[in-house]
Amino acid sequence: MEKEEEKKEEIKKEPEEKPEEESEKENFVIKFDKVDKFYAEDAPVLKGINLEIKEGEFISLVGPSGSGKSTFLKLIYAEEKPTEGNVLFGEISIATIKKSKLPAHRRNIGTIFQDFKLLPKRTAFENVAYAMEVSGFSKVEIEEDVPQILEIVGLQNKANKFPHQLSGGEQQKVAIARALVNKPLVIIADEPTGNLDPESSQDIVELLLEINKLGKTIVLASHDKEIVDRANKRVVALDNGKIVCDTKKGKYKVIKCT
Amino acid sequence: MFLTISRTFKEGIKNFWRNGWLSFATVSVLMLSLFVVSVLMMITFSANLLLKNVQEKANISIYFKSDVTDEKVQEAQRELEKTSEIKSIAYVSKKKALENFKSNNVNEPAIIQSLEELGDNPLLASLVVRSKNPGQYESINEFINQADFFGDVSRVNYGKNKEIIEKLNGIIATTKKVGLSLEILFAVIAVLITFNTIRITIYSYKQEVEIMRLVGASNIFIRLPFVFEGLIYGTIASISSMLILFIAVKFAMPYLTSSIPPAILIDLYFSKFGLLFGLQIGTGTLLGIISSMIAIRRYLQI
Repeated sequence: MEKEEEKKEEIKKEPEEKPEEESEKENFVIKFDKVDKFYAEDAPVLKGINLEIKEGEFISLVGPSGSGKSTFLKLIYAEEKPTEGNVLFGEISIATIKKSKLPAHRRNIGTIFQDFKLLPKRTAFENVAYAMEVSGFSKVEIEEDVPQILEIVGLQNKANKFPHQLSGGEQQKVAIARALVNKPLVIIADEPTGNLDPESSQDIVELLLEINKLGKTIVLASHDKEIVDRANKRVVALDNGKIVCDTKKGKYKVIKCT
Repeated sequence: MFLTISRTFKEGIKNFWRNGWLSFATVSVLMLSLFVVSVLMMITFSANLLLKNVQEKANISIYFKSDVTDEKVQEAQRELEKTSEIKSIAYVSKKKALENFKSNNVNEPAIIQSLEELGDNPLLASLVVRSKNPGQYESINEFINQADFFGDVSRVNYGKNKEIIEKLNGIIATTKKVGLSLEILFAVIAVLITFNTIRITIYSYKQEVEIMRLVGASNIFIRLPFVFEGLIYGTIASISSMLILFIAVKFAMPYLTSSIPPAILIDLYFSKFGLLFGLQIGTGTLLGIISSMIAIRRYLQI
């Protein structure tokens, strides 16, 4: 009772502040807090990034190459650490994450890349299974979950094919299956359609939207206009390491935010 | 933990098979290195064996004047036995010396005939002294020269043997030195080559390791398969190196060294089998494991 009264008082004190934001802050999955990232001292890749990504959101990160999209994503899966400021992933602070905690952190994030990054000497099934093996799932669980996931991406008939026996689109679907199989909180896709023909690209976006409907947060970086327009979700535009545009629902826009 | 070990072990075996050519090359290099070192060891062993044989034949013979009685000779023997350097003293009487002489010259009837015509036994009684160590003949010779019985001595044939014995000492010392330094040299080369080969093998995994890390594999999960692979390299290399060594000893060596009977070499192989195989499998697996670990740490930065 007392606590509720206190809260009400707080709200009363600052009626100008949007009360919605109070509740929104509670459920962010990723938060960029005044993030600067430098690889070399005089060349900022990211400068003063402030951004919150909420659970279940689908966010398209757009911008020309060299605008800092990949670095932005690397900061999320802790391949890089911020030079200034901090990135929060739930409770985890990327700026101070220990090396030993990295593997556990990565298992909470499914990653998809332009070059698929499949293990070349393993079949589709084994590629997906590998992600479960490293997380310590039992053989029984693996044999139950992997075929299910492959069915979701529509590759149940190609489980025993090696990457070089699959088309680009199919390889990317294996990568998506692998990203999904550990039931991560967030899926990160870095130019997932960069190497694919338009038709396969559409397939991949549909699949990502489908996965988003299941409640997964998705961060998609792309400079493919059609893909971003098709997604028709929140668009954040980066240019020269700065956020130049953030629209709730929209189309591909660069530099000029209309 | 058990799950990790069994999974990474299986992973290591799979890697080994899936990298057919690379594995084959690595094992071959490792095997060759082990083989060269063990051939050197075999050579040192057989040289030692040979020298030991010659060493055992080396002796000092003390010939007594023909009028010296058996008792006096035995007295001299007792005196000699007091010195610590001596391994054995054999007494050869006049009669025994004649028998030996006859049996040594069975094929030359002219000599035996002339001996019989002589009637009397012209051979001298002698003491054949063997030392524990070929370096001690000098001091034994000194001792004989100063002994009380020296007056009864006709001659000591150390002078004749002296050169051979001294040469032998030199040969033993140099074989030991040269053999050991060659072994060390080749062992170092073997380590470097093997390390380099495994390094290249692991470097070819660079991209795969990157992917594994992205999927959230822990360092131990990435590393252990390589370590097990190194273990497999070592095991296969040492087993095949022992096999080749056996073939070499059995079939090739007799043609190369006529001075050593092949049967002795085979015996030598089996008597040193435990040592050779233990050393090989030890260094082989250790080399595989350590070079894998260093290569992973340095080239994959995990």
